[in-house]
Amino acid sequence: MKNLINVDSLTDIVSNSVGILIIFAVINLIHDNNKTYELEIPIEHQTDLKPAYIISKDDRLLVMNTDEVFASAAQQASNGAAANKRIFDLKYKGLYAQVEDEQGIAFHARVTDDWPKFTELETTGSELQKQLNKIDPKEYFAYFFVYDETNLGSTAGSGYESFRVARKYLKARRIKSGWQPVNAESPASICSYSDCRYLPSFLASEAP
Amino acid sequence: MASRASRYARYLPQEKLEISLFPFLSIFLCVMGVLSFINILSSVSTPQKVQLTMDLEQGYKVAFQIFTLPEGIIVAPSIKRLTDLQGVVDDDSKAILAMIILRRKMMIEQLALGQTEANFGATSPDSEDIRLWMYEIRQINEMALRANFLYEEFVLFGVYPNGGQAYQKVRDVMNSSGDAQSISVGLEPLDSNWSLSLHNQEEP
Repeated sequence: MKNLINVDSLTDIVSNSVGILIIFAVINLIHDNNKTYELEIPIEHQTDLKPAYIISKDDRLLVMNTDEVFASAAQQASNGAAANKRIFDLKYKGLYAQVEDEQGIAFHARVTDDWPKFTELETTGSELQKQLNKIDPKEYFAYFFVYDETNLGSTAGSGYESFRVARKYLKARRIKSGWQPVNAESPASICSYSDCRYLPSFLASEAP
Repeated sequence: MASRASRYARYLPQEKLEISLFPFLSIFLCVMGVLSFINILSSVSTPQKVQLTMDLEQGYKVAFQIFTLPEGIIVAPSIKRLTDLQGVVDDDSKAILAMIILRRKMMIEQLALGQTEANFGATSPDSEDIRLWMYEIRQINEMALRANFLYEEFVLFGVYPNGGQAYQKVRDVMNSSGDAQSISVGLEPLDSNWSLSLHNQEEP
């Protein structure tokens, strides 16, 4: 007599699993079709606060020390590196700069490996937390230059997620924030002309 | 003798009929695998509907939405409360509003048609169009203010990945437009798998 393994119970388990998966698939489909996210959109407001600049790229954040940045830019400019709108190494956290009459100083973030990852914001006492906590909400607001270029396999701009997380973190500390999308063609720039506007975005209910 | 043998064979214990369940199992496993794959794929790639709404701020601020994509921009203007505004303004303003509503209806129709296209029918930002939109928004806001009607439109940008170029172009035109100076602006980054919902753009 042929010895067959009794697979009745196994078949039972497998068919149950298939049934559950079908139910999940149907629920998932219905759920996704009906899911609508309502985003809260803060509006740009005029302010007396000064901007603290932050660059968001590759899921990393760089809180810019403008004193250091401008000192380095001035030094490079005095060496002639900044002549003829040349892009020069700022020798500051992988940033390259370009001095333009209309744009002030434009920053090209080329090497971001040294910048802290936004996930560090979840770690209490991390360097990134300390840097953001230094922003005094009575004097400053955070202004983000957010890279909108996508990385391979990503559905968001390379700086989007880190910007969202940092904005949420700052909001919890009553620090206002504003942003603009940047990329290689439209780099982050700091200038003092009237056209260069850096405004915080917040809800009217949050206004001082 | 033969009849005895056949009688004996009739009473031989019969073998129990066993069916092999392995083919069924194989099919089940295949179906399960395919379903799991579809399930994971759909949860990862199914576009999530995003309805961009502004904080209503006492219920009177309404967004004129501009979505910026790598291919250009798509515009979703609001006409929902303009008909209410029409009821409280003077005759001249009524005629202007009628024109604006008509133009916006055409824009929404165009947008609805573009929904089937891969890029939602995005077009390159045209400076003249942007200036006209800003002029209309300013007109609407001023009419509402004159009529003491709680209504204010603001420009709301939804910036998709690689949509920064189009955004900068629109902002540059806005910066050079006198009409845009009094208009509030909001902006929000959007992921590429977030699709638009025209739900709140339909006339009541």
